[in-house]
Amino acid sequence: MWFSKILSYLRLARAYIKLNWSMQMEYRGAFLSQALAMFLNNGTWLAFWLLFFNRFPVIKGWEQSDVVTLWAISAAGFGLGNAFCWNLHNLAAMISRGELDVWMLYPRALLPHLALGKMSATAIGDLAFGYFIYIVMVRPDLHHFLLFNALVVAVALVFIGFNLWRGSLAFYFGQAEVLSEQWFFAMITFSTYPNCLFDGWLKVVLYTLIPAGLVSGLPVEALRDFDIGAAAFTWLGALFVLASGAASFELGLRRYQSGNLLGMRS
Amino acid sequence: MNAVETDNLRKVFEIKKGLLGRDSKTVVAVEAISLTVPAGQSVAFIGPNGAGKSTTIKMLTGILKPSSGTASVLGLDPWKQRSKLVRQIGAVFGQRSQLWLHLPPSDSFDLLAEIYGIPKNDYRKRKALLVERFDLGRFLSTPVRKLSLGERMRAEIAASLLHRPQLLLLDEPTIGVDVIARQNLRDLVCQWNREEGVTVFLTSHDTGDIESVADRVVVINHGRIVLDDSLSSVSENTLIEGKPAGLEEIIAHLFSGATNLSMQNCISPS
Amino acid sequence: MKNSIRQIWAVAKVAARSNLAYIGEVASRTFFLAVILFIFLKLWQATYRESASSVLGGLTLKQMLWYLTVTEAIYMSAPRLAQQIDEDVRSGALAVRLLKPISYPLYCLSSALGERIVRFLANFATGAAVTFCLVGPFDCSPAAPLMLLVTVLLAFVLDGLGHLIIGLWAFWLEDTSGLLLIYTRLSMILGGMLIPMELFPDWLKSFVLFLPFPYLVWGPAHLFVHSNWLQFAQLLGCQFLYILLLLAIVKVIYGWALERISAHGG
Repeated sequence: MWFSKILSYLRLARAYIKLNWSMQMEYRGAFLSQALAMFLNNGTWLAFWLLFFNRFPVIKGWEQSDVVTLWAISAAGFGLGNAFCWNLHNLAAMISRGELDVWMLYPRALLPHLALGKMSATAIGDLAFGYFIYIVMVRPDLHHFLLFNALVVAVALVFIGFNLWRGSLAFYFGQAEVLSEQWFFAMITFSTYPNCLFDGWLKVVLYTLIPAGLVSGLPVEALRDFDIGAAAFTWLGALFVLASGAASFELGLRRYQSGNLLGMRS
Repeated sequence: MNAVETDNLRKVFEIKKGLLGRDSKTVVAVEAISLTVPAGQSVAFIGPNGAGKSTTIKMLTGILKPSSGTASVLGLDPWKQRSKLVRQIGAVFGQRSQLWLHLPPSDSFDLLAEIYGIPKNDYRKRKALLVERFDLGRFLSTPVRKLSLGERMRAEIAASLLHRPQLLLLDEPTIGVDVIARQNLRDLVCQWNREEGVTVFLTSHDTGDIESVADRVVVINHGRIVLDDSLSSVSENTLIEGKPAGLEEIIAHLFSGATNLSMQNCISPS
Repeated sequence: MKNSIRQIWAVAKVAARSNLAYIGEVASRTFFLAVILFIFLKLWQATYRESASSVLGGLTLKQMLWYLTVTEAIYMSAPRLAQQIDEDVRSGALAVRLLKPISYPLYCLSSALGERIVRFLANFATGAAVTFCLVGPFDCSPAAPLMLLVTVLLAFVLDGLGHLIIGLWAFWLEDTSGLLLIYTRLSMILGGMLIPMELFPDWLKSFVLFLPFPYLVWGPAHLFVHSNWLQFAQLLGCQFLYILLLLAIVKVIYGWALERISAHGG
């Protein structure tokens, strides 16, 4: 029973991705230039780190290859998580603008439709960038490469779950766009700096409220030391973020349907 | 003196195609426009989209150089003396504001005074006059974004008159404005046309604007003038297929692509 | 000449006034700046500790943080000049602008200048408050704020001209955002926004000094933490030189653009 259900949702995902992809290909030039722009943007940050490690080879046990791995995994994971679920990125704004109503007209569960509705060219650029620098600059062997793939998927799930967390805020607070945006900014910033820089109470925050540790901490350690345990914890954390995100969305949606919302724009 | 004089004004665009522009094709935007507008007249200059209206206006303001033909605007050569000419022109575009959205109109006026180099004393008097006539006093210090569209357009027109232009270009000045405010705007333009003798060049799809503002109607289509007559003669003496017709109907007829010649068959002065 | 200076001043003043509303956004900006400056603090704290020196590239940790405060404030105040030109060309608003007796590039430049000064001051005030809380004051020479103000102003003129050169390509290119991205990323990394030029490898340092980028970012920020009249004079000289050069380029490109407009209608 549940198996065929999952299968049908996978087919739905495939149909959406196919549709969105052919739409992107209609504007091939714009798609390529956006993806390329993201490549360039990320490249700037990488250039900064190369300059930095050129001058200071080791910081708290991290070396240049670790920070390249960090950028590879966070860019690829962010890219994968957002490329096909771009609507979730703007979830808070969509909810408070009342745009969910359109999506509720569809049969089946709302969330998969909503999530898969929009594709992002820049996120595809991120995804490509992550793989590119990992393969070219870290030069992994087959084992590391396979582990990298598994971790990219986990990180993508973290980002999807996190988008659901911050997007669902709008169900509970109405106007939550600013808060949602700042939460996102904090997540993305902490995800792109070495996790080893932070300690004490902040470390706790980075594995709970702002789960950037699941992006810039555990996965990097897992790849560096080929630590299957760290990889397993990353996956566990990712599944938790995703599940709690989906739960808070569904709970919020019930409030939305019952019309119990505060401060909603008419 | 004539405000506008053109003789066989023509503009051909060369559109490059292909990667290196090897193939090019020419498009005639304006075929031949000969037009004389005496100073102080108000002319409605109308035509369907793509008829060559805006190309003609761009040539008259010196932004585009004609492919052939001559033009003189306010006694100046538009493309040789463009900077001198634009000081004499005021322009209001219904879709594009020249006022700063987040600031009160008063600040934009001050800026325009500097841009046009209006002497301080002149500017003070002029501003006071316009504020009074356009009844701007109530919202002169309110940010433009908080004004109603009618109020905003009143401020727009006043702004375009600050430097005492001799030629006023109005492009869809009443678009989106409600009926009462629209009539108010038309009255103000007429008033200024009468009192200061400013030549008005109006492009609009709204026949109400045309009927209340213009003395004369010029219709262009396919880059040529297909009708040029005084408003009164157009609306009183025109028959379509033997019946009297309103301005709206006449314009629709002309827009539908009939050329000047065939039009004579259906529109006949009685 | 006198007339156009009055015009520049008038446009800049109105643009500045129009952006005063920006100060209202300071609250949300505080969070962004606080996060980023906090991360910089952690990064450089670790770096100073591990390299066991109190001075890196001529700067103490405190000075480094204040340096980065200035560079962040400069970066975050970037104007929307090139995008504005893009829009003007595409939407046809350019025809309206050309009906005014002020040169179009001059208008864009003055308006961007007025806008940027307000934004810079707001960002710098916020960033300074954050940095003050993080590391406290450094012994700032009394001339430093004055030097900062003068050189930042010239840096904004220079950067504005750079944006103008990019934006004017809108007459030929479908989209200038790619060029703009390259320009801003180059000024970010080569301008020393994230890492002062003193810490660059030697080959890069000697090369970068011949480019305009250091005089946009590194120059004013470094002068602020290390005020010295000789360097001030040198920086002014370099900025003036580059302003003249870019002015000449703008003039040439705008000349071409006008020719193109009169033939093709823009």
